[in-house]
Amino acid sequence: MFCQTQHYATAPAPERIEVFVNDKSLLVDPGITVLQACAMAGVEIPRFCYHDRLSVAGNCRMCLVEVERSIKPVASCAMPVMKGMKIKTDSPMTRKAREGVMEFLLVNHPLDCPICDQGGECDLQDQSMAFGSDRSRFVDNRFSGKRAVEDKNVGPLVKTIMTRCIHCTRCIRFASEVAGVDDLGTTGRGSDMQVGTYVEKMFKSELSGNVVDLCPVGALTSKPYAFTARPWELRKTDSVDVMDAVGSNIVVNTRSGEVMRILPRMNEDINEEWISDKTRYSYDGLKRQRLTKPMVKDDKGNLTPCTWEEALVEVAQKLTQANGNEVAAVAGGFADAESLVAMKDLLNKFDSEGLYTEEGFPSDGSGTDFRSSYIMNSTIAGIEDADVLLIVGANPRYEAPLVNARIRKGWMHNDLQVGLVGTEVDLSYNYEHLGDTAATLKEIASGKHAFSKVLANAERPMILVGNTILQGHEGAAVHEVVADMSHKLKSSKKVEKDWKVLNVLHRVASQVAALDIGYKPGVNKMTEKPKLLFLLGADAGLVKREDLPKDCFVVYQGHHGDQGAHMADVILPGAAYTEKTATYVNTEGRAQQTRRAVTPPVYARDDWKIIRALSEGSKAQSLKQPLQPSILELKDFYMTDSISRASQTMAKCVNAVQTMK
Amino acid sequence: MATSMINLVHRANLSRLLRPAVRLGQFYSTTSTPTVIDKQEKALEVIDEDGKEVIDTTTGVPDWLVKERKARIFIPARNAMQSGSFNTRNWHLEFDTAERWENPLMGWGSNADPLSNLCLTFSSKEAAVDYAEKHGWNYEIDEKTEVKMKAKSYGANFSWNKKTRVSTK
Repeated sequence: MFCQTQHYATAPAPERIEVFVNDKSLLVDPGITVLQACAMAGVEIPRFCYHDRLSVAGNCRMCLVEVERSIKPVASCAMPVMKGMKIKTDSPMTRKAREGVMEFLLVNHPLDCPICDQGGECDLQDQSMAFGSDRSRFVDNRFSGKRAVEDKNVGPLVKTIMTRCIHCTRCIRFASEVAGVDDLGTTGRGSDMQVGTYVEKMFKSELSGNVVDLCPVGALTSKPYAFTARPWELRKTDSVDVMDAVGSNIVVNTRSGEVMRILPRMNEDINEEWISDKTRYSYDGLKRQRLTKPMVKDDKGNLTPCTWEEALVEVAQKLTQANGNEVAAVAGGFADAESLVAMKDLLNKFDSEGLYTEEGFPSDGSGTDFRSSYIMNSTIAGIEDADVLLIVGANPRYEAPLVNARIRKGWMHNDLQVGLVGTEVDLSYNYEHLGDTAATLKEIASGKHAFSKVLANAERPMILVGNTILQGHEGAAVHEVVADMSHKLKSSKKVEKDWKVLNVLHRVASQVAALDIGYKPGVNKMTEKPKLLFLLGADAGLVKREDLPKDCFVVYQGHHGDQGAHMADVILPGAAYTEKTATYVNTEGRAQQTRRAVTPPVYARDDWKIIRALSEGSKAQSLKQPLQPSILELKDFYMTDSISRASQTMAKCVNAVQTMK
Repeated sequence: MATSMINLVHRANLSRLLRPAVRLGQFYSTTSTPTVIDKQEKALEVIDEDGKEVIDTTTGVPDWLVKERKARIFIPARNAMQSGSFNTRNWHLEFDTAERWENPLMGWGSNADPLSNLCLTFSSKEAAVDYAEKHGWNYEIDEKTEVKMKAKSYGANFSWNKKTRVSTK
């Protein structure tokens, strides 16, 4: 055994090879495709079936280019580069090939662009303008007609008009590779080929909306968005999603003060270019059940609309009258960092530290003192580098669909080994189910379980623990075991120094920001008996009227008339995430900003502005308090500290003042 | 102040300088402010100490439009619905959205803010920054996000021992 030392030196980078794109020399890594080499040279090759994040299909033939000394044009998406290759992307041969492909595609594509939802942002439309022929040889359509295919019903999100399909198979590849559901496929050959679900069924995936983006034509379009707007009418605002704690980057598309649709925005570190269906399709909820006017409870106990001034004065009065230990605030899942800070400042000014989040987290031990104990330390992109992943009590598929998509990506391309402790669920990839309870976790931690060996041998292990488990009554114990295990793994020799093991998967968008700012996690930890309770969008139903003192005055600030508003005495209408420029911190601890795409409805206002106005009002109230110095009479003057209180002379003075009137 | 700072203002435009929109502080503070000299017939320009053109004092744009708003300099995201990336090559300068409403007469979109409809395109970040500074606008920059290129191979569809093997066609 003379060869114990391991050599971590990576293999030398393979020599770069020279290719020529339109006679321009370019050095590229071997193994990349001609299409990628062209992209590096700044030349975009037209394509339908090729997509950066899907496997290479090579069936649309639109990316044909001429390569010198090759008798036929070459499908650039599938052809690897070779040394000295001379690629011509704009030669007569290339142009003729593209024109031919385009003509074949258009023979069987309906000419319904004016009534097609994809019109205006359609790859087929664009590319037929740029590369297609200027006239048609297909003049026989009165006799032979065009090919027609029956539409499929794949659920309430994706609308299909299958006649428009050009068989690029992007949707099929997305479903089986990224979403992990083999629901879509093809039947038939040649002009009888059809893309579909074989039997009529729903495309059951939490990422199904992405096939609408992927479809280069109008075969798959968004059902809720159908016929509502044209792409050129829409204003686009870059923003961030708050439906889960991932913080997917989105583009909010609006028309005259209304959100028409939400599309993903590429961010390699978070959501790549996908978003979940809840992110994409829940925007119609922004137009319903909204709180649009401030409301105060009248004598009969009914909430009645009032002016902002009335509502603010009402709350400010209560705030001024209450003692510090009788005021508390509970922040819900949609609260932004600005309003969280404003609320903290307001309560601190009134000597209250009663700041809580709805979502819990164990506070034993160091609790939330260290940021690394409550965020996802190895980041979402880091999942791709990990080699072993232990999921504890989480269902990332539905709690954070894009984290799950990343895990699937790691599992597929990097042979990531996944183990799960907790309820057995379908995660869209294979994993080892280790046990249902925390007892299994203890076993793994103590090294008795078979999986502990796997973890110990890992170079980049990850432990992903769901916050649902952490806020349960066994949460503290689970956190302790997991933190212990992570610490042990991290200090192992095999693991690189800067690799982090412990990861917490939060469920709501506001949580990390709230913990960063210093909110205490969990309403069950509330020590105050509040006479005045602020609910900052707290709608999870964890705060109940019967748990509060009878005379408690509840102020709800938020955007929807949900559980929190039902129990409120005063309602202050706030803005939803598409209506304010606000900061959110995602589960990795990454601060990102939403941007105002539309204005809040009617009298609703930005959340931090409401709290700011409230603090202004309550300040005015406090001016009415008499400015009373601590010593008003002579008798109080003599004895104020330990020395004067010990002095007999001073005591005589006090006595004299009281008796010798 | 050093005489090397030659700053010129067209005489005919001098009256515009007297409008309340002019940032008064600029004429009185001692450092890094443009000095204004009335001199001959030349193009309208005010140059600050760094030799950069500053025109916010001369445009007559109301103060609240210049000072209270923030421009965003960014590269627009590629439309997820399309594969073309040509629109992501330029830098954009835009202001935040102000209230918009549907005009009751024709149903067209209306708004009362001159800045939120502005969309300027620049070939580089520096050009956008220069332009914003020239107009005295506050701005923030969203840096460009780089796309990682991963080597792809058609052969991966057929590999025997990898999960990339295609099962559904």
